[in-house]
Amino acid sequence: MITVPGTLEELVERDRDHECDGVGAAAVCVRVSAVADLPSRFGDFRIVAFWNNRDSKEHIAIVRGDILGGGDVPARLHSECLTGDALGSMRCDCRDQLEVALTAIGRQERGLLLYLRQEGRGIGLLNKIRAYALQDQGLDTVEANLALGFRDDERDYAIAAHMIGSLTVRSIRLMTNNPRKIQQLEQNGVRVSGRLPHAIPPNPYNRFYLETKANRSGHWIDFSGKPHLPEQDDPVVVDGSGVPPDQGR
Amino acid sequence: MSGLPRAADIVVIGAGVAGLACARSLRAAGRSPLILERARGVGGRCATRRVHEQPVDHGLAFLHTHLPEVAADIEGIGGVTLLEGWPRRVEGSGTPCQPRAFLPGARRFAISEGLSAWPKSLARGLDVRCGVRVNRLRPDPEGFRLEFHLTDPAEDTEAPLASAAGPGEELLAREVVLALPGGQALPLLEGLPDNAEQDLRAARTLLGMLGSASCLTVLAGYPARAPRPDWEICYPEDSPVLQTIVHDSSKRKDARSLILVLQAQPCWSRRERESARESWAGAMIQEVGRLLGSWAAQPAWTQAHRWRYARTDPGNELSGPMLFDLGGGRRLGLAGEVFHPGSGVEAAWMSGVRLSRRMATEAAA
Repeated sequence: MITVPGTLEELVERDRDHECDGVGAAAVCVRVSAVADLPSRFGDFRIVAFWNNRDSKEHIAIVRGDILGGGDVPARLHSECLTGDALGSMRCDCRDQLEVALTAIGRQERGLLLYLRQEGRGIGLLNKIRAYALQDQGLDTVEANLALGFRDDERDYAIAAHMIGSLTVRSIRLMTNNPRKIQQLEQNGVRVSGRLPHAIPPNPYNRFYLETKANRSGHWIDFSGKPHLPEQDDPVVVDGSGVPPDQGR
Repeated sequence: MSGLPRAADIVVIGAGVAGLACARSLRAAGRSPLILERARGVGGRCATRRVHEQPVDHGLAFLHTHLPEVAADIEGIGGVTLLEGWPRRVEGSGTPCQPRAFLPGARRFAISEGLSAWPKSLARGLDVRCGVRVNRLRPDPEGFRLEFHLTDPAEDTEAPLASAAGPGEELLAREVVLALPGGQALPLLEGLPDNAEQDLRAARTLLGMLGSASCLTVLAGYPARAPRPDWEICYPEDSPVLQTIVHDSSKRKDARSLILVLQAQPCWSRRERESARESWAGAMIQEVGRLLGSWAAQPAWTQAHRWRYARTDPGNELSGPMLFDLGGGRRLGLAGEVFHPGSGVEAAWMSGVRLSRRMATEAAA
């Protein structure tokens, strides 16, 4: 029986010496290391910083309301994308997806967003930009992508699962359009009690989802002629677009 | 005449750690790879030469790995004295060329008999032909035509391709693995047409983006009266010239005299690598005198080696080997330290093994 702590701060104390066998094949173990308030334009949140035993990436949870020991907590997994999240790049929809998730969670009594520091889905910023450079030359090919490291996301889910467990959340309702994501989390021991659709509203930048078709490789081409990448592990659904694009991988 | 077969099922070009690990793994899967190496011996940058009866490692200074399978392979060499944990005594707070080697969980090894004992043990039982330089790769309906010539022992095998080499001899291989530094693999890829999937063109573009660091190296032997440093490796804090000073003779059982191996900084190496050998070697000897004391500027003998493609900069590496299917059973694989996260010698080994596994599991079209 897990004792449910009263506050997030108690998790920091609890995890000070935490060590476990880890989750998944990579035996990932995380600790809650720091907690603080995070008032944002999307609402009042708390920010929880995690340490992990695999790399020096500081994964983050954005927490709304009291989720400790909670069930059916609305939750979203977001992979870091510097170019999209921070710089407003139009080569991906990461910022839209992040804003939609934070807005939705901010409107509810409680919720959880895991911000996973897996830039470019784990390939790192350098290689992500190399991949962009290849695409700029019309060279978006399977072999180059394999070598650049578009990889399976098994480890990310193990980290996410341990983070959810560390926050003593009993079950989540996952905001996703990707059923595989639910499967992966469940395989790592997370109870997913439901799915919440995750659609981004149409705006001038993503209108092409409604107006054009994806190209041969499954990528959408934006108005500037650049491939528009699904960098989150989640097909993009724009309200009104119907079927999500095939990710082609 | 070369004495080489006219045709081979699969040829691995490059008998460094990546090529040998790949070939051995192919062999374990029932293939019979032929390995071509343009230098006189195997090992590539995992290199040892004998100077005045004493082995000197003039490429990498030690082996290191986080991976149990690589450590097990090193521990299985047999017939040598492994120095586990070497170097233990590290001087200076400069950045090592492989910082990962000193992270928790990393295992480090030196070999008393010289580091080339590892590639030699990898090569055991394999068909390796040294002194064969492949100049060109051309597609053929039956596979790839390899144009090669036999190297002159005096030839600088690190030099760019000599266009005057003439057509040379030819060998037909159905499958080819390039286990070379990116800068050496690239010219061989130039001879191949773009396939329908553009994969080869993407690979060339990608390799062109990566680059590789050079490392000018000087071996310096000292007279018997020279002091013996109490460290095994030194990373000087503020040397614009030297990145690493290796106390090479501290690896040997009965070292007769002090031998240091000096490795230059990557950007200094890049700037100086085309100038006369005496000029850069002299500057490196002067610098070691400034860092360690005037005695160090007066070696009894020196030798110099220019590693044009010495290493992949950390953060520049890719995550896996490449494999191109040109149809009709013709496949071309790329392995080497740049094709595995982390770079370094463990990445070389892993990329070779992973490429062989991909070749076994992905049946040729």
